[in-house]
Amino acid sequence: MITLKNIKKSYFIGERELPILKGINLEIGKGEFVILMGVSGSGKTTLMNIVGLLDKQTEGEYQFMETSIDGLDDEVLATMRNMHIGFVFQQFFLLPYLNAIENVLIPIVYSQKQIRHPREKAKLLLGKFGLAERIHNKPSQLSGGEQQRVAIARALINDPDLILADEPTGALDSKTGNEIMELFHILNEDGKTVIVVTHDPKLASFGKRLIRIEDGTISEDITS
Amino acid sequence: MGQFPKISQVREFFEEILKILYYYRGRVVFSFSGVALGILSICVIITTIEGANKKAHDIFEILGPDSIMIFGGGERQRAARVRINTLTFRDADLLQRIEGIYDLMKVYQVRNITMRYRDRNWQTQVVGSTTNYFESMSWGFQVGSVFTNDDYANLEAVCVIGSKVYDELFKGEDAVGKVILIGKLPTKVIGVLEERGGSTGGPNIDDRVIMPLTTVTSRIANEKRYLSMLRLKTDRDPDKTVEDVRTVLRNNHGLQGTADDDFTIRSSKDILKFVTVISGSLFLFLGTASVVALVVSGFVLANLFYLTIQERRKDIGIRRAYGASRRGILLSFLFESILITLMGGIAGILLSVILGGTFEKLFDIPMLFSYKVVVFALCFSFLTGLLSGLRPALRASRIEPIEAIRG
Repeated sequence: MITLKNIKKSYFIGERELPILKGINLEIGKGEFVILMGVSGSGKTTLMNIVGLLDKQTEGEYQFMETSIDGLDDEVLATMRNMHIGFVFQQFFLLPYLNAIENVLIPIVYSQKQIRHPREKAKLLLGKFGLAERIHNKPSQLSGGEQQRVAIARALINDPDLILADEPTGALDSKTGNEIMELFHILNEDGKTVIVVTHDPKLASFGKRLIRIEDGTISEDITS
Repeated sequence: MGQFPKISQVREFFEEILKILYYYRGRVVFSFSGVALGILSICVIITTIEGANKKAHDIFEILGPDSIMIFGGGERQRAARVRINTLTFRDADLLQRIEGIYDLMKVYQVRNITMRYRDRNWQTQVVGSTTNYFESMSWGFQVGSVFTNDDYANLEAVCVIGSKVYDELFKGEDAVGKVILIGKLPTKVIGVLEERGGSTGGPNIDDRVIMPLTTVTSRIANEKRYLSMLRLKTDRDPDKTVEDVRTVLRNNHGLQGTADDDFTIRSSKDILKFVTVISGSLFLFLGTASVVALVVSGFVLANLFYLTIQERRKDIGIRRAYGASRRGILLSFLFESILITLMGGIAGILLSVILGGTFEKLFDIPMLFSYKVVVFALCFSFLTGLLSGLRPALRASRIEPIEAIRG
């Protein structure tokens, strides 16, 4: 599903080159549950952005869904993100002017998959996550854990192949965080490929595979 | 393009934008009312001008596009409403010979003459004219008919009365066949004209009695030489005919060299020209003011939009992550600004309809509200939205998702 070959990424501050990723080789298959762990500044978020088609590598080759994404334009990348990837972020990023169910429906607006009865589907997802009573609430009326579950429902509405979560528990207390990780576990059991990016070692045990990033390279890759 | 298929759920797209507008309603109201005011004034201007033009064209229509009027007295000699007798029967005969002239209407007016029917009196003007008067003026009859060539030749005491005179003298009774006293002359009423109304302020066009010219000049006024007015139509170029008419009249009146004309020629075109000049300057003045209002509200809108975009970076980032392309973002922000200005435009149009009605009643300004105004106003508000939204929307579309999400 994901094949990274010698991926390098540098930022340029004036003339000075600042290497973030220094040659990443990685293969992630369908149905895996990967915890991508690294300290702040290790390059894990940059790697996630590249994997999530939000950013482009400076060097190397990236194949996503058996397609090389080199040279694809903005339109195509946007469509690929929409079709294949569901994002979950640390800060939830729910839109304040939309209620829970409308937030879940955001990807539908840009969707080229003909999802039938999206509203019913959104309701079903929110119900599954214990939010049946809260579908008409605005984000400001929801707790952190509830907001994150709305965000996960949003990630799932378009039937993505890959769930990409960046520090999904970072803004939650540990109990709620564990519930969220449990949710990812269930999704993975249902067949979704899940990648969780985190700095928190306590989350390591939730995945089936642990990849550790240090200073722009993979230092450890353990499949349990 | 390939962009519209990208936004596949149009209803959701619109619903979202409406929710955004509601959420940021404080801001929206500012831009909205600016545009509404601008459009309002533009609508009022256009309807007023259209109304004036319509009126001018009505006059034009009544006179006929090819008609030329000649009055006694030159432009410089003439005080308002005082006509000097310089135009003669002989002038009329000579003019008839000019090439292309096909319909000559002679008029001799007597003002302030008393009409009497039973115990009712009414003071009005008598217009003596040729039998073609009614056709030339495109003036129809409520009842009765025109006087005939025989009436004209035999100096018959017959008259056609305007609706105002009818109301004053007959008050709803049958008038045709009755005899009224015009001055001292007993005259048979043979027709009542349709009410024409219009031009407030000026003399009431319906307040007149029309008789054969011959009867008026010999039996009421004893005038053998002069006419008050001539109307003629031409099938040649009106400007050239006017030149010919002028030459003939100057020769016949013995005017030489730089002597001023002792007559005044007006063509239908002159009337139109006059109205065009007036409405042109009105348009220029008020139009500039309202365009400035729109431009200012456009700027306000653009600035508020920049603010909004700063505030909504995360929003944009999320949408980009979930499949919105740059163009999708551009489009949705443009839609948002156009929606605001269009709503402002519609409000402006509605306001102008309401205000226009009041205006019309209060100041007696004729207003013509046509679909053209609506189309124009909508186009204008659309353009305002497009132009003021374009730069902010472009900036929004250039925001990189990762930057936006990182914060």
